[in-house]
Amino acid sequence: MTDAHRDAPGAAARTAHTAHSSGAEFRTLFLVKYGEIALKKRNRGAFVKSLKESIRAHLPGISFSVYETFHRVFVSCRPEDREKVADALGRTFGVVSFSEALRVGRDIQAVEEASVALAGRFLAEGRGSRFKAEVRRAEKSFPMTSYEIACRVGDVLRARFPDLVVDVHNPDWVLSIEIRDHAYLYGPQSDGPYGLPVGSSGKGMLLLSGGIDSPVAGWMMAKRGMALEAVYFHSPPFTSQKAREKVEALAGILGRYAPGIVLHVVNFTPVLARIKEKAREEEVTLLLRACMMRFTSLLAGRRGGQCLVTGESLGQVASQTVESIAFTGMLSELPVLRPLIGMNKEEIISVARKIGTFETSNLPFEDCCVLFSPPHPLIHPDAARMKRSYDCLSIDAILATAIAEMETVSAPR
Amino acid sequence: MDRVYLDWAASAPPEEPAIREAAEVSLLCFGNPSSPHGAGKEAADRLENARATLAGVIDASPSEIVFTSGGTESNTSLLLSILGRYRLGGAERRKARIVTTAIEHASIHDQALGLGTLGMSCTAVKPAANGMVDPQAVADALDDETVLVSVMLVNNEMGAIQKVTEIAGAVRAFSERRGRRIIIHTDAVQALGKIPVSVASLGVDAASFSAHKVGGPRGIGALYIRKDVVPGFLAVGGGQEAGRRPGTENVAGACAFAVAAGERVTRLAINHAAASRLAERLISGLKEIRAARIFPESRAGRDAASFSPYILSAGFPPLTGEIVVRVADEHGFCIATGSACSTKKKDRTRVPDSMGLDHQTALSAIRVSVGPSTTEEQIDNFLAMLKKEIPPLLSISQGRPDPAVTAAASGPRDD
Repeated sequence: MTDAHRDAPGAAARTAHTAHSSGAEFRTLFLVKYGEIALKKRNRGAFVKSLKESIRAHLPGISFSVYETFHRVFVSCRPEDREKVADALGRTFGVVSFSEALRVGRDIQAVEEASVALAGRFLAEGRGSRFKAEVRRAEKSFPMTSYEIACRVGDVLRARFPDLVVDVHNPDWVLSIEIRDHAYLYGPQSDGPYGLPVGSSGKGMLLLSGGIDSPVAGWMMAKRGMALEAVYFHSPPFTSQKAREKVEALAGILGRYAPGIVLHVVNFTPVLARIKEKAREEEVTLLLRACMMRFTSLLAGRRGGQCLVTGESLGQVASQTVESIAFTGMLSELPVLRPLIGMNKEEIISVARKIGTFETSNLPFEDCCVLFSPPHPLIHPDAARMKRSYDCLSIDAILATAIAEMETVSAPR
Repeated sequence: MDRVYLDWAASAPPEEPAIREAAEVSLLCFGNPSSPHGAGKEAADRLENARATLAGVIDASPSEIVFTSGGTESNTSLLLSILGRYRLGGAERRKARIVTTAIEHASIHDQALGLGTLGMSCTAVKPAANGMVDPQAVADALDDETVLVSVMLVNNEMGAIQKVTEIAGAVRAFSERRGRRIIIHTDAVQALGKIPVSVASLGVDAASFSAHKVGGPRGIGALYIRKDVVPGFLAVGGGQEAGRRPGTENVAGACAFAVAAGERVTRLAINHAAASRLAERLISGLKEIRAARIFPESRAGRDAASFSPYILSAGFPPLTGEIVVRVADEHGFCIATGSACSTKKKDRTRVPDSMGLDHQTALSAIRVSVGPSTTEEQIDNFLAMLKKEIPPLLSISQGRPDPAVTAAASGPRDD
């Protein structure tokens, strides 16, 4: 498409690429449409920030600029980076759709020339010959109405390309023209992931294991605009370095959607030792969960987390029955969000595949050794009784040490 | 941190004379042994010398040695040759069964099972609880369809020395009664250079060997195949190795293999005595650790002579072998869980399972394997590390020692 830019005839070729204050350098410009809620004034800053971070998270070295006007965000980049930027836009929550756009001066002749350039490109790409022009005139000082502009552009294009046919009901492609501070022209758009920009809905602490569920839970909260800090509990030597590397990889994949994610790696072996020492075998799993909740709740206080996020799905395993959840949830002073609670495993797996975490989650390094899964765990525990067992652990000092010795990985791979 | 290598059964540290030989032959005798010119003849001479040395080492004729890329290729090419002979329009097309054991290396066990999809069948005889395959059990598994019996000489995970001579005798008696030949193969990869190996006295028709288990380089091994056995080797090429294994010969590897094997066999008795002392030291040291098990228990007593002193299997159930290997590694000791070649989870406990160990005990197995340069000090350090590190891990994994104590501490219970 870059080459098509260069080949575009006339004044359009000279004006089409002059993105925001970029001088004579050729720049590719993306016009980004974002969700309704993002239009709210106080979210716009977070949205633009999220967009920038999302692109940077994947492309640390890339040079680009983001600016926004009413209802639209524009991203300009070097033409050679356009595919990478498009990839980043495609997974930035809050983006409804995006497309490459031409920006020209706000006069009808420039609009005509740019229209010819774009139509020529769409024809060359084999997109078909039935088209329509859609015009939005946000800047009402423009001397023609939207309808008049559409008619004029239609006439010019048919004169220039005799094969073209106007079809307002079933076009092969739509040429969109927006008259704003400048005139913007663009063709077919790519879908964004919708949702809310990450960071616009506060910060959650994600309990991230190496399994299939928890990365999906994190992704779902990021989709609703939540910034994430992930917490991984490892138990050397019972769990391996490879299991830890796998979780780092999963956090890295989540970072593609939730830019800025950090991963806290916590040594939980002393906690495990205390539980095994004090607890009845059938309570081990639940108490371990409870300690994780307690730990994360304490950590959230230090890190500004507003809630816990887990991958629990009702009834999936013994520690995820409503009675078990009632108990483990008691240990968190913050709300515990469980976005997968009503999902079946198959549904979770299909999301995991879509977001690219499934294959990594499926690697065979167990996150928790079989050694610590009692053969007959409690399924319908009594919360009050479990709470007494928990209190008997006297675990707070051990948790405090674990927080103090925790490692934080700021840019997981 | 000084590393202590106790995983010789996976791969032995290379012996310098063997590697020097490989380098020298690579640099000087680079001709293709099939070429008729001087350089080719020189390479062919070196290759034939190596073949003769190796033949002498295992008590065979040079023409009975086929150089291969290693133990796995020796095993699989022999099994696949059965396919060539009996199934794929070979000389003698008929039903064919392989009788083997449940404790073979994957390149026999899994390959034999795999042949099942190609119209062959396979019986895997299980060992007794002491790790030994009963010759009578093998004899009982024979039938009219049986064309090949493969029983390893030294088991790579437990070190059990199988009664291959007796098994070969029983198979031969059966096949003579039926008037139909059954090829008898043994995987001798863990035996070469460690216990006396004479293919003649074993009475086998074929045997597999690998260089890197005896201090030679990787990528070279050998298949012994008796003169009067005519298998249907499947690979076809330039006719090298008398048409049994095509491909330009690895002359340097073969020469290095011969040097390494020769060295080991010369010092076999001395090395064996030293390894036996190490094994005894290991076993008695392990016994001082709570929960330690030796697999099979009988090798620490009356069956001691039936085990290779170079390989010891032990465990600390319920700690999984994986955890013990990880802890050992953190302290600089290289050991293994079972066989280094079985990385597939499902297959990891095939050998201990087949001996009747429960799954949790089977998962606890570690393998400690030693070699001629392993010292008593290394074994002592290893034992000291285990004595220090294992008990706390056992406490964690076994849970609270006395339920009454915690019950009292946690106050009244609803039940």
